[in-house]
Amino acid sequence: MIRQSLLPFFEWYAATPVGRVMSSSATLIAMAQIVHLIGLTLLVGTIMMMDLTLLGFGIKRHPAAQVASELAPWTLAGLAIMLLTGPLNLASEAMRCYDSSVFWIKMGLLAVAIVFHFTVHRRVAAAEPPVSRFQAGLVGCISLALWFGIALAAKFIGFYGEDLRQQAGLFY
Amino acid sequence: MLLLILCQWLESTRPAAALRSSVWMFDILETIHTLGIVLVAGTIMLVDLRLLGLGLKRVPVSHVVSRIVPWTLGGFCLMALTGCSLFSAEAVKLYNSPAFRMKLVFLSLAGLNALIFHRTIYRQATAWDSAPVAPVRARMAGLFSLILWIAIIAAGRAIAYGPGYDRS
Repeated sequence: MIRQSLLPFFEWYAATPVGRVMSSSATLIAMAQIVHLIGLTLLVGTIMMMDLTLLGFGIKRHPAAQVASELAPWTLAGLAIMLLTGPLNLASEAMRCYDSSVFWIKMGLLAVAIVFHFTVHRRVAAAEPPVSRFQAGLVGCISLALWFGIALAAKFIGFYGEDLRQQAGLFY
Repeated sequence: MLLLILCQWLESTRPAAALRSSVWMFDILETIHTLGIVLVAGTIMLVDLRLLGLGLKRVPVSHVVSRIVPWTLGGFCLMALTGCSLFSAEAVKLYNSPAFRMKLVFLSLAGLNALIFHRTIYRQATAWDSAPVAPVRARMAGLFSLILWIAIIAAGRAIAYGPGYDRS
């Protein structure tokens, strides 16, 4: 439903100068993808280390709240890089993304992950005194699942658009 | 030429041919290889940021290294396994890929940089363990590492834009 109502936006976006430039230059697409990947490394790398710390596998002997305050600016930097280069990547193949169900799964997960991060995750990570080990571990697991789920979905957008699904036979 | 002959032989082995003709296996390995970036480069960048005094400043360097590097090594094993498998499937194409060659050079330099760091300045880490900003040689190692890993990611992605690929 949301998808259909956004069709005009995708058509408009693909036809904008950004869309035309991004879809016509392999060099620009490659660069946008590379910066997007570096942002991923920073964003999910810092979040993963925070999650591992919440689970008790990360940086021990230091209060999780202290680790959280040190990592938070880098998580935000990574998110900013992702949110800037993401729309550029989208511009290079807006209609292909629109047609790909995986793209919409990724966007849905992304919305959930961002809300979860800024409401629950950051608060739990920075909590003093720390929340119970069970709660911290649960939040760490959910966060890991969400962010790696998004990265996984992202990898599959290119592989399996609507046109390729039939041929791959995965969903039919 | 010896390298090219080796690549041709590797590509012709049965596992390599099976991987090439499999619909899912190659994609699955490539996906693991891509997501593994977070485990390897993500954790290395955290150590680099600590060395540069830009993050985790209140945690002693030795704690950061001893707690994070096991994840890096685990991630690296995953990357090496998936990377070598992927390489075997299209060894000749990668032999001819400038981006792949650059990636190997950057990888070697990153390994050398880490080796030198651990063999020299990190040996005396007790003297500067808790200092928010590490000595200049440690900072240089962190900076080189950060640049090299960004270059490795860039070169890796660029392979798909080289000759013989359709960028998927």
